[in-house]
Amino acid sequence: MTDKLVLDRISHSYGDGDTQLKVLNQVNLQVQKGELVAVIGPSGSGKSTFLSIAGALLTPKEGQVIIEGESLSDYTAHQLEQLRLNQIGFIFQSANLIPYLKVEEQLLIMARLAGMDKRKAMGRAKDLLTRLGVEHRRKSYPHQLSGGERQRVAIARALMNDPAIIFADEPTASLDAARGHDVVSMLAHEVKSEGKAAVMVTHDERVLSLCDRVLRLESGILTEEASSTLHG
Amino acid sequence: MYLALREMRFAKTRYALIMTIMLLVSFLVMFVTGLAKGLAYANASSIENIPADYFVVQSDASQRFSRSEVGTSVIDEVRNVVGNSHAAVLGVQMATVTHDGASQKIDVTFFAAESDSWIMPDVVEGSGISSYASGEVLVDQKLKESGVQLGSVIHDQTSGMAWTVAGFTRNESYSHTPVIFMNEQEWQNWKQKISKSVQASGNAAYNTLAIKASSSQADQLKSKLPEMEIMSKSTAVSAIPGYKEEQGSLLMMIAFLYFISGFVLAVFFYVITIQKTSQFGILKAMGTGSGYLAASVLGQVMLLTVASLFISILIIQVASRLLPDSMPFQLSGSTIGLTGCLFVIMAMAGSVISIMKVNRVDALEAIGRVSA
Repeated sequence: MTDKLVLDRISHSYGDGDTQLKVLNQVNLQVQKGELVAVIGPSGSGKSTFLSIAGALLTPKEGQVIIEGESLSDYTAHQLEQLRLNQIGFIFQSANLIPYLKVEEQLLIMARLAGMDKRKAMGRAKDLLTRLGVEHRRKSYPHQLSGGERQRVAIARALMNDPAIIFADEPTASLDAARGHDVVSMLAHEVKSEGKAAVMVTHDERVLSLCDRVLRLESGILTEEASSTLHG
Repeated sequence: MYLALREMRFAKTRYALIMTIMLLVSFLVMFVTGLAKGLAYANASSIENIPADYFVVQSDASQRFSRSEVGTSVIDEVRNVVGNSHAAVLGVQMATVTHDGASQKIDVTFFAAESDSWIMPDVVEGSGISSYASGEVLVDQKLKESGVQLGSVIHDQTSGMAWTVAGFTRNESYSHTPVIFMNEQEWQNWKQKISKSVQASGNAAYNTLAIKASSSQADQLKSKLPEMEIMSKSTAVSAIPGYKEEQGSLLMMIAFLYFISGFVLAVFFYVITIQKTSQFGILKAMGTGSGYLAASVLGQVMLLTVASLFISILIIQVASRLLPDSMPFQLSGSTIGLTGCLFVIMAMAGSVISIMKVNRVDALEAIGRVSA
């Protein structure tokens, strides 16, 4: 079983009765271990809904989400919470760090919530921050970091609890080209070396070359993009 | 508490400010409570200090000693039920006196009791009084401020009678006037002079009976003496002229202070909770439970409340020592404990809307947002 994430015929709509708006229509997706998948699409194409459903934040009206071979259909709210804590890593747009926690603490809080042994957590946090090149910043607050550094900390935080899959929501939105490229290549590297899977929603065309596959979401339909041949 | 403590470390000024407000409010609550208690004691200490459980007064006396008379038949009846030594007669009479040659008039309250009765207070200076008509009285130390000394002679304005001060007592006042204790002989002599009805009957009645009794004995008395009222000590105290009015207004101030402190906290924490909505969204998306976040908000409230209470108790201890004697102030450990608990409860009530808000924050807020 190398499929970390499977979306099986997911459909979702908002509103009810006559004014129903179909946002996702029979979306299928398999993401394997070591794979970084990009999802692109115009705004309003349902990317946020797609990410919310795949990230176990929103229950789809139809279809099922399978993470590490487990279907989430019958999960309770608490089980979903625990799943997000232990199996899913999130990287959000620009400033998604907790403003009053030092860099190191951003990672430790995750370990704490998951009940990880303190010494092990310290070791893992140091290791992750070193690999992402922000170890020297571990005692700084988010507002003292550059945008690139912040996103690198966010990647480290997403990896902290050793999740099965990472979801990134426009991680390069507030970065310039070089920094954005840096951040995504680090994400790609971590996904490969730690054997994770990752799904990145983006409209930053410049980082697509770093992804294994590129999918396009348009009017609720997900299709494989020919430009995935850019890979390399 | 991990998040709660770190947030307070980060936003020191913000939390220091709210803590200062809490500190001031809790100090004020404590201070006004102490003043209210001090005034209450200064008002009614003579009744508070009588080690009785109940007082017997006439039913139609509206619980006022001065309006009540207990006759010998009632006294006998009561003594039959509770035992001779557990019922003590007490005469209460307000009067205006002067002392020696001083022209200044002083309002006082005379208490009359049998000289060996357990109503008689401890003498802190001088000697006690005997049961003879020796013309001696015990007076409250407060009269020293008016120049009364051991051996001073006190003159009653109405009757023209005079008594010599044999000793001083401490903390004996009634309706804010110092209390002068006399024995039953003096009481009889004095009443003969000031009351025509006493002259006619030849015997001055007492106003009340102080009794030490169990509640079942009190019930027994109630059924045996339908024309009398058996009231508890606290009822007797609040029936002292001016007592209820004084305590009522102070109590209202204290109640308002509690509400204000609850609201200040409620508003403050609601505002910062709203500011942090997207942060809570991110934390929830990453798998943090609502309970953890609610505990974090409550933890901050508790920490601020307890810390500010602690400091205000320290300040109040210092302040109570610096207050002049003319400002009666009394704050016992149990009052501090109770006030503190009430304050904490108000603070918790104040954090309720914030906690509800935290519970309502949706993890979906984290997705598709530009800033947190």
